[in-house]
Amino acid sequence: MKPATVELIFFIYFFIALTSFSAMVVLARNIINNVFFLLLFLINTAALFLFLKAEFLMAIQIIVYVGGVLALFVFAIMIMNLKEEIKHSKYIKFYSAGLIIGLIFLLIIIYTVKDVTTIGQPLPKPDSVLLGKLLYSYYLLPFEILSVVLLVALVGGILLAKKLPKEEK
Amino acid sequence: MIPLHWYLILSSVIFSIGLIGFIIRRDLIVMLMCLELMFNAVNITFVTFSAFNGNMTGQIFAIFSIGIAASEAAIGLAIVLAIFRNMAIVHSDDIKNLRG
Repeated sequence: MKPATVELIFFIYFFIALTSFSAMVVLARNIINNVFFLLLFLINTAALFLFLKAEFLMAIQIIVYVGGVLALFVFAIMIMNLKEEIKHSKYIKFYSAGLIIGLIFLLIIIYTVKDVTTIGQPLPKPDSVLLGKLLYSYYLLPFEILSVVLLVALVGGILLAKKLPKEEK
Repeated sequence: MIPLHWYLILSSVIFSIGLIGFIIRRDLIVMLMCLELMFNAVNITFVTFSAFNGNMTGQIFAIFSIGIAASEAAIGLAIVLAIFRNMAIVHSDDIKNLRG
């Protein structure tokens, strides 16, 4: 089945944009440029979610990642005040080993998924009402467990980031 | 529509870039960013299967994954800040207190 031309153009744009932005997150030298490319990557991922008929996840992606996680990264960089970062080498000593491991992993995954098909019907249209009903009925217990996990992360983050009692004096 | 395995190849390419970056970069904050790349690749896979199977469960698991990723980023950055303040280290291969 041959895809429609508009969908093909959008998918090729998403492929090129997502792979190049994620590569630039790894390759950029200045650390604030990494955050900037991560921002572009996350916004393009949100657009891909909308392309895949998941409009609620697009909103969640922008609110949580762009509004929350990225602000955390920017604050951490601001607190750590990394000025001497330019002089040091940015890769570990045996970076070729990491490259080989990653490429082998990629080849194995592509070989596995290269002719996978699905037997289900495609999603007819975006439907947040169904998502909310499912989330609050069948997946209620995992939802509550997720809230407990977030509370533990909040308390743990504060405890780890605050000064120890012997450092304060 | 676009075939299913194109999306899976896109997701695996992003995941591999994140994995390679997590292994080869020295800065702790950039390593955490590469973790976010890997989380997003997996979320793309979840949403793809949700759209191709007509089933909302994939989107719900993507929501759970986003929540876990947010808490992971908070804890990870707190650990990085604690390491930076106690040992003045920002590179992963300088942490060798437990090396024999």
